[in-house]
Amino acid sequence: MDERDLISRVRAGDGVAERALYDAHVDRVYRLAYRLAGDDVLAQDFTQETFIRAFDRLPTFRGDSAFSTWLHAITTTVVLNGLRKVKRFRQRETDLTDADGVGGGRREAEPDLKVRLRRAIDALPEGYRTVFVMHDVEGYTHEEIGAALGVETGTSKAQLSRARAKLREALADFAGEWVT
Amino acid sequence: MMFENDEERFNEWLQDAAQTYHAPPARPTPREEMWARIEAERRRRATRAIELRPWARWTLAVAAVLVLGIGIGRWTARERTPDGGAPVAAADVPADAGVAYQVAATQYLSRTEAFLTGFRADLRSGRSNARFAGQARDLLTTTRLMLDSPAANDRRLRMLLEDLELVLVQISQLEAGRDPSNADLITQGMDQRNVLPNLRSAIPAGPVPVRAEGVL
Repeated sequence: MDERDLISRVRAGDGVAERALYDAHVDRVYRLAYRLAGDDVLAQDFTQETFIRAFDRLPTFRGDSAFSTWLHAITTTVVLNGLRKVKRFRQRETDLTDADGVGGGRREAEPDLKVRLRRAIDALPEGYRTVFVMHDVEGYTHEEIGAALGVETGTSKAQLSRARAKLREALADFAGEWVT
Repeated sequence: MMFENDEERFNEWLQDAAQTYHAPPARPTPREEMWARIEAERRRRATRAIELRPWARWTLAVAAVLVLGIGIGRWTARERTPDGGAPVAAADVPADAGVAYQVAATQYLSRTEAFLTGFRADLRSGRSNARFAGQARDLLTTTRLMLDSPAANDRRLRMLLEDLELVLVQISQLEAGRDPSNADLITQGMDQRNVLPNLRSAIPAGPVPVRAEGVL
């Protein structure tokens, strides 16, 4: 069935159509939420909230853009707002742990590439990280990213370029991996 | 100097290596579980929307702001009188604001207080906290609605609501068999931010019988 028809049926209160629309998009929404959150519970929570908001706001969807674009804009808003709150809370936990002296004095082994890469990506500014994950990891186009994040396509490209430059600098020790 | 093909090589290598970043689980998306929770949550919100017709929502919003304003007033008044002096009398709520709406707003704060008190108590007794996750999710929804309401324009109340939201997010993620130290960290965070004392101070006093109607 054509997605426009599906959306019309959802607007008319068709529960079967709602489920069909959910099934058509849930995998990608969940993947994006997981990639940005790195946590299954959070990813599920964000996915649920995304669809709840999407169904509630569907009457306002005018069809100027693809439904997936509109849905991913909701996804990124839900995930980024949620992560900011979780980050603030975790920072408090970290402060407490540091104050208690828990976890100190342990010397970590030299992390491997996977760990170093994760840390480097985590350390990127939020905008850079989001664009990098969406483009280089999940394969979104700059047009899709721009629409989802509410920025110009050129901004998305610039942020990706800066993200890559920062990662190259952070991973300089591994230069042999790509130079050869 | 970076040559163009060198940069291209790096970009290709990076894209390949980054596939390990926050890689989703190999199992299929838990679509049935999430759908069930989405339906339950939407039903719950729809029930509330039916109960609160448009005219009632406005009245409730006005009443809730009044009640919360009184709570904030008491809270700040107490802070100004650390010597334990009598709290400043709060403004009277207009009778036509509707007791039912006062109860609704007060009940949220009271339920949250009862819930967090029970959570801490169970933690001390060493019992499982996983059963609190579902209740935390319910309260989390209400908290977010409060944050989206004009009541959150007040900085102090917004801070309290944000604290509550963070605590409830964490509790909602507790699962059976997970590391119990996660729950300890939550209560430590609550203590550090004075969440419970602040919450109790924000609950208006009065003969509202909802404080006994907590979720526990």
